[in-house]
Amino acid sequence: MEPLGEVLKQVQGYIYPNEVELHWSLLIVVYPYVTGLVAGAFILASLVRVFNVKELQPTYRLSLLTALGYLIVAPLPLLAHLAHPERAFEIFLTPNVHSAMAMFGFVYAWYLMVVLLLEIWFDYRKDLVLWSAQEKGVRRWVHWILTLGATDLSSKAVRFDQSAGRFITIIGIPSAFLLHGYVGFIFGSVKANPWWSSVLMPIVFLFSAIVSGIALVLLLYVISTLLRSKVVDMLCLDKLASFLFYALVVDFSLEMLDFIHRLYEAEESIGILSQLVSSRLFLSLVILQALLGTILPLLMLGIISPALRGRGSLKTPDELRRLLYVAAAALIQVGIFSTRWNVVIGGQLFSKSLRGLTVYKMQLLGIEGLIVAGFLLLLPLLLLLVLIVLLPPWPEAEAHLPEAA
Amino acid sequence: MPQQLARLLVVFAVFTGGLVVTRHLLIPKTFGQRGHYRAAAVTTIQVRPLRYAGREACADCHADIVGLHGKGRHQTVSCEVCHGPAAAHTLAPVENQLPAPRKRAYCPLCHGYDPSRPTGFPQIDPVSHNPMKPCITCHNPHQPEPPHVPEECGACHGEIARTKAVSRHALLPCTQCHNTPVQHKVDPRLLHPDKPRNREFCGQCHAKDAPSPREIPRIDLATHGGRYLCWQCHYPHMPEVD
Repeated sequence: MEPLGEVLKQVQGYIYPNEVELHWSLLIVVYPYVTGLVAGAFILASLVRVFNVKELQPTYRLSLLTALGYLIVAPLPLLAHLAHPERAFEIFLTPNVHSAMAMFGFVYAWYLMVVLLLEIWFDYRKDLVLWSAQEKGVRRWVHWILTLGATDLSSKAVRFDQSAGRFITIIGIPSAFLLHGYVGFIFGSVKANPWWSSVLMPIVFLFSAIVSGIALVLLLYVISTLLRSKVVDMLCLDKLASFLFYALVVDFSLEMLDFIHRLYEAEESIGILSQLVSSRLFLSLVILQALLGTILPLLMLGIISPALRGRGSLKTPDELRRLLYVAAAALIQVGIFSTRWNVVIGGQLFSKSLRGLTVYKMQLLGIEGLIVAGFLLLLPLLLLLVLIVLLPPWPEAEAHLPEAA
Repeated sequence: MPQQLARLLVVFAVFTGGLVVTRHLLIPKTFGQRGHYRAAAVTTIQVRPLRYAGREACADCHADIVGLHGKGRHQTVSCEVCHGPAAAHTLAPVENQLPAPRKRAYCPLCHGYDPSRPTGFPQIDPVSHNPMKPCITCHNPHQPEPPHVPEECGACHGEIARTKAVSRHALLPCTQCHNTPVQHKVDPRLLHPDKPRNREFCGQCHAKDAPSPREIPRIDLATHGGRYLCWQCHYPHMPEVD
């Protein structure tokens, strides 16, 4: 219990004995961060599919695969945190509808099986059929299995793929809202915790998810394009940056609304919460989340992206703009991760007595440690790499029907 | 029906069928009969050996103590909380003697000072509260008296009392310098004793013209120490000799 001894030295004021050590650790920070990226990336894909934002077409498949890569990893932090992953399937067998946490499996399964996998399958089916016909060896078999034997490429069948894909995306938007709104709901419904208990929580989570998802796909798009020695489509990037800006404005406004509402309401917890923000969370909330993760990217995107004025308030060369977009997206990732940190860890740093603060001593090794969390943050990118190899999202990899060729 | 839809339906049918079969095989038969748990778990727990006897069993032989205990402040603390599981003892009382905690460390498990305990719950500081004495020398655990008002300040402020006892101020009662509301002894955190608020207070003995014995050190209140209160420089519970 050495870390506990260390923690005890830094406890401040009166706290209850069971509050000294935090129960929801770094892994629970990773969980909403990863789910947020899933929902955000999917919403971005839906901009292309449902709202016909043609400029974003180059990122459509990439964002779907990104969402899938991150979605596969999303439950892993929970499984690692709860331990006994061999029991996880029981929540499917004996569903408890009275427990929001116990319903996670169904929210997750709905999103994975009914929305994401189906949409990707319908979108790739034509390519899968053509690839399996042209390729040799293992790839041929993998692609053939993935077609599920539906090899009909008649124009009627291809049209059906498209309309089915569109229909699923329409279902997918509320589903993505459900997925991440659900994560916010879990925190927002903890009525005993004044830092979490807020009806705004699901919607704040949702918009921060959209922000983080768009920023991630922007980063991945630029990096993958440069790695493939292709030209980055600036029209697409400008559009991405504009949407990122709009989402960030909404996200920031909601956060501020929550903040002002708390201040004005000034419930009995306001004293300890102010102390929390100005001491324990100063770096992660004021500096990282608000200044570096929100205000600075807002200014950068507001000035250089065409979000506010047709060609940007400040005319910049493409290379510089690209660099600034990447910097803004990277800052946003840091900011959103800090947001998750501030919610999850921040909510456990003050005592329910409202008279004291504890500290979070992060572990390095062990299942709840930094290394595992780092691995879980890296794993989606590795999965994405596998998915990209298996289902190349690039325009040049797209197979064309013989008649069209 | 489009070919894709047919294939997907097969996949979903396999999944749903798999779920139904798995549910059938894995969910215990009695699950959900009484609530969101396996009803047969109750029987499984029932067949485990009994370890506790319950206080009614104690009354059969120890009626006097149970009667006393039933009237006191510990009446809601069951016998077995302190004496341990008693089922074996009820079957063979001589062979299975029950322990009685007599060590000083035991009672502070509940009565040691902890800010999270409710106000008014009797609490002591185990370090300063009559050190070394086992609790049961003064308190009868079967009928603990309501926490009577400490007779001396040293009951709670032992460290200060012991320091003062060997200092030049040993003969001064605490209340000479601290006005202590009566309520402080009953509810220490509600009302605090005060401290001398001006220099003239110490001057009653230590000023040049004070009507006190000659051996008491004197200072000129007008020039000594500026605007500071005496106790901001001198520790009154152990004032320096010179």
